[in-house]
Order: sequence, then structure tokens, then C-alpha cells
Amino acid sequence: MSQTTAAAVPRPKLAVDWKGQIVSALPLIVLILLVIAVTINQPNFLALGSVRGLLESMAPILLLALGQTFVILTGGIDLSFAATASFGTVLLALWMPNLGVLGVVAVVATLTLIGFINGFVIAKTQIPSFIATLGALGLYSGLGLAISGASNIRIGESYQAIGWITDLRIAGLPLSALLVILVAVVIAVAMKVLARGKSFHAIGLAEQALLMSGGSTLRIRILAFTLCGLFSGLAAVMLAASQHSGGPTLADTLQLPAIAAVVIGGTAITGGVGGAMKTVVGALIIVVLRVGMSAIGVDPAFEQIVYGVVIIAAVVLTIDRTRLGVVK
Amino acid sequence: MSVPVLEVRNLTKTFKNVVALDDITFEVRQNEVVGLIGENGAGKSTLLKILSGIYQPDSGEILRNGKKTVFRGPKESATAGIGMVHQEQSLVTSVTVAENILLGSETDAVTAGFYNWRKLNAKAQKQLDKIQSPISPTDKVENLSFAQRQMVELAKALGVEEFSMEAPVIVLDEPTSVLEGDELEVLFAQIERLRQFASVIFVSHRLDEVLRVSDRVYILKDGKSVAERNPDTADVDELHRLMVGRESSAEFYHENEQTSVAEMPVVLSVDGLGKRGAFSGVSFEVRKGEVLGISGVQGSGREELTRVLFGAEPFDTGTIVLDGKSVRFSSPVSAVSAGFGYIPAERRIEGIAQGLSVQDNIFLADPAPVSIGPFFVASKARAAAEEWISRLRIRTPGRGTNVSNLSGGNQQKVVLAKWLNSPRLRVLILDHPTRGLDVGAKEDVYTFIRQLCAQGIAIVLLADTLEETIALSHSIFVMRDGEIQRRFDASPGNKPKPVELVEQMV
Amino acid sequence: MTSTAPKLGESVRIDRGTRIKKFLVGAGPLLALIVLAGFFTIASPTFSTPGNLSILLTQLSILMVIGIGLTFVILLGSIDLSVEGVMASSSLVFVLFATNDRNDFEFGIFAVLAGVLTGSLFGLINGLLHVRLGIPSFMVTLGMGAVGIGVATVLFGGRAPRLLDDGLRVWGVGNTAGISNLVFIAAAVLAIAFIIQRFTRVGRYGYVIGGDEPIAKLSGINIRKYKVLSFVLSGTAAGVAGVMAATQLGVGDTTIGGGLLFTAITAVVLGGTLLVGGRGGVVQTLIGVGIITVLANGLILVGVDPYIQQAVQGLVIVIAVIASGWSLRRRVRVIK
Repeated sequence: MSQTTAAAVPRPKLAVDWKGQIVSALPLIVLILLVIAVTINQPNFLALGSVRGLLESMAPILLLALGQTFVILTGGIDLSFAATASFGTVLLALWMPNLGVLGVVAVVATLTLIGFINGFVIAKTQIPSFIATLGALGLYSGLGLAISGASNIRIGESYQAIGWITDLRIAGLPLSALLVILVAVVIAVAMKVLARGKSFHAIGLAEQALLMSGGSTLRIRILAFTLCGLFSGLAAVMLAASQHSGGPTLADTLQLPAIAAVVIGGTAITGGVGGAMKTVVGALIIVVLRVGMSAIGVDPAFEQIVYGVVIIAAVVLTIDRTRLGVVK
Repeated sequence: MSVPVLEVRNLTKTFKNVVALDDITFEVRQNEVVGLIGENGAGKSTLLKILSGIYQPDSGEILRNGKKTVFRGPKESATAGIGMVHQEQSLVTSVTVAENILLGSETDAVTAGFYNWRKLNAKAQKQLDKIQSPISPTDKVENLSFAQRQMVELAKALGVEEFSMEAPVIVLDEPTSVLEGDELEVLFAQIERLRQFASVIFVSHRLDEVLRVSDRVYILKDGKSVAERNPDTADVDELHRLMVGRESSAEFYHENEQTSVAEMPVVLSVDGLGKRGAFSGVSFEVRKGEVLGISGVQGSGREELTRVLFGAEPFDTGTIVLDGKSVRFSSPVSAVSAGFGYIPAERRIEGIAQGLSVQDNIFLADPAPVSIGPFFVASKARAAAEEWISRLRIRTPGRGTNVSNLSGGNQQKVVLAKWLNSPRLRVLILDHPTRGLDVGAKEDVYTFIRQLCAQGIAIVLLADTLEETIALSHSIFVMRDGEIQRRFDASPGNKPKPVELVEQMV
Repeated sequence: MTSTAPKLGESVRIDRGTRIKKFLVGAGPLLALIVLAGFFTIASPTFSTPGNLSILLTQLSILMVIGIGLTFVILLGSIDLSVEGVMASSSLVFVLFATNDRNDFEFGIFAVLAGVLTGSLFGLINGLLHVRLGIPSFMVTLGMGAVGIGVATVLFGGRAPRLLDDGLRVWGVGNTAGISNLVFIAAAVLAIAFIIQRFTRVGRYGYVIGGDEPIAKLSGINIRKYKVLSFVLSGTAAGVAGVMAATQLGVGDTTIGGGLLFTAITAVVLGGTLLVGGRGGVVQTLIGVGIITVLANGLILVGVDPYIQQAVQGLVIVIAVIASGWSLRRRVRVIK
């Protein structure tokens, strides 16, 4: 070097991005406001029993939503994750009587493999994720219906292998929900602490730059879908435990709330922005909203409408139009 | 003396740091073919974009048949009778020839939203007849060859005649780059035909072609029109000199820091490399600490060559040998592992990761230096990032700043840091590294390039200007239409002149 | 010099080999349809009986109407995932306005109009949200599909309202010349759709926007308008399909469109309309719908589990999309 680091380059001042900060904090604010509003209407909302019920219904949604978060962070979507989870519950009902705990492991492994296949196909063949996972949805939904004869299968013996998930409580709160939240925290920490922890965000934000820096976008994308499959597997186990049975449509109704949880939590559909903890906030908003709606006497039929509107509204707020180019 | 059909006077256009057009004046007269020549960055493409209404000039005026006009968009330019045949194909392949020719200007062929195909096809046929083309209006564009598509584009450009009372001005932007052999003759015949009822502006980097078809030729350089010549009497050498004559300062490029690399081992060796449709028979060697400059205009194949080296595109023939081992990269992933780095021309899309911080960007290619195993060591990363920021003089509020908020020059420095950060780096490819940078940033880049050489990194350089190429390189080769035309030694004290390069490029 | 220059257009027209390949790709779906029909005629004694063919055509009708609507949107390069929800809402709006066992409305043919326009309204909202707010179409229509199911659920009110207007019911259950009336409705929809595709701006500009949107923009085309109109067409078709299904089943129901989205997209893709837009059309969709229906009908006759069919359809759609996009693969390419 011909000259040593002479005078340090003066640091320019940075304007604070107010809009960005507000949009980022919005989900948490909305959650707090919602909780307050519902508590005013129903004072025992914050009582232990009510919170327990809330967390119990949140757990499977959050599990699914966490898996989906990885995919949406990369800018894609997995439309098959709920149907795959349903398929998983059917497999559980069929395998557990003979294999016990091994059956549980096998199902989670199978669903993880399904996620891997999805990711592999999408990454290698370069087809849009929504159509690939739409196909997967049909495939695994059809398989589940065929294997189960389109009916629920009760899990009789060896239910104890998974029964503890629903039954165990810690300080009165369901273990299942606490475990899931713990998992979310682990994910969030891992993303910060691992050298390549920001990979999913990087793909979502700047895939071409990542490619041209030698980053293996192929591997990251496959990993995202694999993780989604893994979490579908875990959700399948949790659902089978709470329902005492497996069924080909058991998890289907959770598809929309789970996607809503990701989007409302603040993860942008364009990818690159978001994370596990945001999804936790989103899942809480979803379940509180549900409770709140029935508290004020809103017909449960309106739930779907609310999900639809809320998803669209959340997407509008978080979408990054500057990176979209031509929107199709 | 009749009024020129098109005239620009004192047109100026600046983009951020760069003056693209500098007080340029030229005119096109009735029934004549005017050629425009100039090297990269001379301002040809900016001028054409202004004439087609895509850009607005900062100052100056455009006169159409003596009347001052403003083109606020492509439609207005077309209405004024200026038809553009673009360099890139601008046809919609999923519909017919007729639909393309009349796209957006179907007028009475479509009434109340309903198509009258007979009328539409007849209108299109009228345009095709002007160039006596046997292409049918009902042909689907996807079934036509490139040459035929270009004829359709020509017919479409001629459509402007229907809107304006005045004789059209047809602009042909590098029309010959997709043509071969007979097709070229057909195009030149068309231009002859056009001359009878229109005027033509012919832009091409192939000097011989421009001289062949034009009645008058303008030479552009650095956004100015530096000369006007008559092809019959023009001296090709003089034209070359006019295209490149420029002051250049050896200090600006830190030429004194260039050292000889003749004794150094060869790092990268390429033999007979070829990619169908882009380049062929490319062979060269780069030594440790050497800068190899590659010159050529757009379409010469040099950009594709660098992408092939980096594994971003496949190649068909030949071999690439890195440190004695033959390599064939299936993607940039393996190229980067092997020790390649790439500073792309498209900085915002392929260089920086927009949305991530300066620090994250610096470690994007190789986080290993600041990690232990899979774990990121925050303290190490912080320290390293700060060091790069001060070493490369990156102007940023902090290492956590979103890199999108930095100026172009500082973004480029972040990209540089990203590659310098990795101990694996053996060969760094620089694709237009100083594009859009201000003078201070440019000089910084030149300094860093010298330092890279001192560290033993081999560099392949596609520079923005001939002066840069000459000053920075140890050796140079010039590409034209996919092949190496000539090699030059550029060791200090033995530098070629810009004119010698240009002779091979055009 | 001009007299000796070769004439344009003859020397380098696209070569024979490529032309044959293009022809095969274009005619592929039709050949597949013929082969399948032939196969099932041999494999099952009941396949080619008039009774079964009539059933086949009926099964084909509603699917085709949905497919036709989807085709307009897919030609743009977008997608419409809301069709099942829109069908549900339309069916309920229709039944509740016609003579039914829930209220006193007896609007007859205007009920049909109401049902169809419900679909158009959904399409309009889809299009506007997509175009004005820049939300990708899969997301907008996913959300609006949920809204559609939701609206239908609210209107449903716990028990399916029954359609009592015989004049309208005959559309769904009656025959004319031995063929179900639904087939005629579907044929009419196809004819109208073809006219729109071939002779109107919505149709032609759809191909242009789907083929190369940046060029379309430069040509001064009002891209927003034509995108919105395409979504309106899709929604309207879903509305028509909802009414058709309601006349067939005799009720308005939230699940009336169950599984149709998936099958319809498969049909459109199999017929040869590309998901990236710009290629294909309603006639291609007709063939794709034919393939799917023949396959479904035939496989049931041969004894294959209908759920396995659904699974296979899922595979088929992925394979078809991979096949059509194979040549577009690049090393440095971003597809989300």
C-alpha cells in the first residue's frame, strides 16, 4: 500500500427510514391492540384457561407457518404444505400401530423428503414454485385420500407415543405451544449466528447478486423447501396427537391461516424481509383474531373472508414493488 | 437549399456523473443516408434514445423539417415520422406480422374493440410492399428467421409514414449484427430503396459498412460530434484517429505502479475457447499479477467470454486451465470456489446484494475468514468490515448501512472488498468497473487494481474506455465479431495507441 | 445491384426439421386425446356407448367453462386461483335470487344474470388489486378465493338453499337431442370466447402482453385495462360455471367448485397453453379439457381409484410445466 490509512473517510449521516420502521413494528402493535380490544370485550381473555386454549390452537398453525416462512423468505411459496401435513397424519395413523415411535420418526422423515423433492424439482427445472407445489398438493392430497379411503383413521394403541404432546403442561400452559415457540426462537438465533444464516433473506433480496458471488442458490432453495416439509411433518404429528386420528383433510383448513400468519407477521411475499419471530407474532394475531371475532359474535362463516382480506392487506403493506419489475 | 428533414442543435444529456451528449449538432437531409460512428460511450445510443422519445435532452433542440419539436415518448416520435429499428429485437413473437407492424396503431382496422382482419392485413401489406418483402402479414413472427424479423421491424418502422405528412426518417441501430452473407446484401438493397422516399440514419460499429451505404458520416466522440466526412473522400486512418483522439494522463491511471510480469507463472490459460453464436477460437494466458485487457465493441463477444470464464454461461469448445488444472464450471459456485471473482457491469443487480448491509455484502462470497466452522464470529466480522471500509475508503454511515443507500462508486468498492476478502482469489474479472463512477472513485479503482497486481492476483479487464484499457493492462487483445483480431503488448513504455486498437475493433 | 439481390423471405424460412417439430408440439395434445380415446374404447366396453359419451360431455362442460376463463388469465402470464370460491359465491347468489326454498325471490333469468355478474365482480376486484397494487396474481386470487368461499359460507347459512325454478333446473338436468343442455351452454361459451380471443382487443392484446410485456408497454397499449378485463373474463366464466353447477345439482353450495381449480389448470396446461403466457388459447384448452375428462372417465370405467387419478393429475401438471419450460433453463436465472 502506497499510503497508510490516512485520515479516516468522513462518515455521512443517514436519514432514518421512518416508514420502514413503522411497517416493521406494525404487526406487534396490531397484536397488542387486538389483545387489548378483546380483553376489554371479554375480561377473562387473559385468564390461564383461555390463554391455554389460545396457545393450543396456535401451535399447529405456527408450526406450518414456520416452515412456510423459509420458503416465502426466498420469494417462493409452497401451496402443498397443509395437504402434505394431512397426508402425514394418514401415514401416522397407518404406521404407528406397528412401529410406535419409529413410525413418528418415519413420517417426519418422509415429509421432509417430500419437501426436499419439491425443492429439488423447483430449483433444478426452474419452474415457478406455485405451480410445482400446486401439483404436489394434488399428488399428496390424492395419495392421502386413496390410502385412507377418504376417511379419518383413529389412532388406537401406541397413541401414547405422541399423546404427551397434547397432554403435557408446563405451568398450566401447553407444552406443544411452548416447544414450538422455542423452535421459533432457535431458528431466529440460528439465522443470526450462523455464517450463512442470512442465506434465505439473501436469495429473497438479491438472488442474482448471490449467484454471481458464488452462493449456491440451488442448495438454499432446496433447503427452504426441505425445512417446509420437515415442519409439515412436525405439524402432522401435533395434529394427529390432538385429534387422536389421522385424516386426508385434517390439516387442510390450516393452509390459509398459516399463510396469513406468515404474511401478517411481516414477511414480505416478495421475500427477503421477515423471520421466525415475526411469524410467531403473525400466528398470535391470527388466533387472537379468531377468538376476538367469536367474542364479538361474528359468524364463523366470515372467518374466510377475514383471512382473505387480511392477507391481501398485509401483502400490500409489505410488498417491495421496486424489486418486482413486471408483475404477473 | 432545402430544409433538413431532421436536425439536432446543441443537444446535451447528462446522467449523474456522466455527460452522455455534449452540445451535439447534426442534421439529416432529404433522401440521404447519414452514418453515425463512434466507439463505446461516444453517445450514439443516447442520441437514438432521445430521437425516439425515450429520453429527454437536458438542453438543446430538435427540429423536424425546420420546426422545433419535443418528443415526450415513443408515440410522439413515431407520430413525427421517425421510425426506429432497434438493435434488440422488438417484436412480439406470439402474434402475427400484421399485428406487430400495427401494434398500438391499428386505428380503423379495429372498430369498437373488434378486429377487421382484412383491413389489418391490408394495412400491414402496404408497409411490407414498400420494401417489396414476400413476407405475409398472416405469418406468425415466431416462425420467421432473424433476418426476416428485421425486415418486419423495418416495415413497422416505415409505418410512421402513415401518421405524418412528412417523409419519414428511418433509424437503423446496428442492423447488421444479426445478419450473415446474403442477408447483408438484402439489407443494403433495402437501404437503397429507402433512400428514394425516406431518409436514413445508419448506426454501426462496422466502419466499412457505414462507409459503404452512407452519403455523409458523422464521427461521435465523448458525446460530441467531432467531424463530418464524405465516405467517398474519407481516409479510414483519419476516421480512426478522430474517434479516439483524447488527452490522457499517465498519473491518473497510476501507470508508474505497473510492474513487469514477464517472469511470473501463468495462472489462467485458455485454449481454443468457443461459444456458439458468441465467440470462437479464443486463446490467451494471464500471469500472476498481470492485467489482461480485452477490447471490443458490443457484439464483439468479449462480455460473453468473461461470463463463460466465470461459469455463468456454458461453452462449447476449447479448454480453460487454472493453475495447471483443466476446469469446466457448471455455475459460478464452482468458479468462485476455484478462485475466480467477478465485478459485473450490472452492479445493482449482480454486484451488490441490495437490501443487505455493507458488512453482509463484504462477506457474501466468502464468510470463512470471519467464521469458525458454521458460526459467524461477530467481533471478527465487525473488525474486518471496518478495516475494509477504511482501506478502500468506502464512504458509508456505517457497516450496517443498507448498501443500496451508497453511491455508485462506494457500492463498487464494497463489491471489490467482497472479492478481496477471500484468500481464495486467484483471478478477478472486471467488467466495466468504472462505469458510472465519478473521477475520484475511478482513480481509487485504478489504485486498487495496481495493488491487486502487487498481491499476485491475475486480472481480466473489460474497461469502459480505450485509455483505461491501455493504461491499466500489461497485454491487450482486441475482439471483433467473436474473434481475436490482434494482440498488443502493453508493458510500460511500450503502450499501444488508442487508434491502433480502434482499427481492429471497427 | 438490386436486380441480383436475393429475394427476402424465401432463402431462410425456418427449416423443415424445426417445422416438423413445431407441428408435433402443436398437434401433440390432439394426438394424445385421440390415442387416449382409442385406448379406452378398446379397454372398456362401456366407454364408447352413447350413454357414456353423453356423461362424458356433461362432465366436460363445467370444467371447460372454467378452463376457458382461466385461459385468458394464463395467456397473460398470470394465474387465477379464486375460481372455486367464485363458483361457490355465484351459485349461492343465483339460487337465492331464483325461486328457492329460503326466500321469496323469483327473478328467473335475472337470477342467472346476478350469479354470472357476481363472478364478473370478483374478477374485476382481482384484476384491480393485481394491477393497481402490484400484488402478484397468485396471491390476490388466493386471498379473493378465500373471500369467495367466505361470502358463500355466509350466504349458505347452515343449509343449502334449493333451486325450485324448474325452468332453470332443466338447464342442468335436461337434455336436448339426447345431449345435456349444459353441453350447449358450454359450447356457446366456447364460441363467444373464441370470438373474443380472435377478434377483440382483449384477446389479441392478451397475447401481446403475455408474449412480451415491456414491448407492449412501449407500444402505448393500456396494459392495465386489458389485464383487468382478462381477469373479469375469468371471473365471469367462473360465475357461469357456478350457475351451471347449481342448475345441475339443484342447490347453491360452498363446495360446488371442489377440486375444479386444480383439474382446470391441468387441462389448460395439457392443452398447450403456456404458463408463462403468450402461447395457447381456448381451442387448445378444449382439447386439454377433453384429455382430462376422457382420462378421468376412462380410468373410472377401468376401475382406477379416483383419488389416485387426482394424484396422477398432480404429477402430470408438474411434468407438463417442466417439459414446456425445459429449453428456457439458464445458469444465472431467477424464477421464484
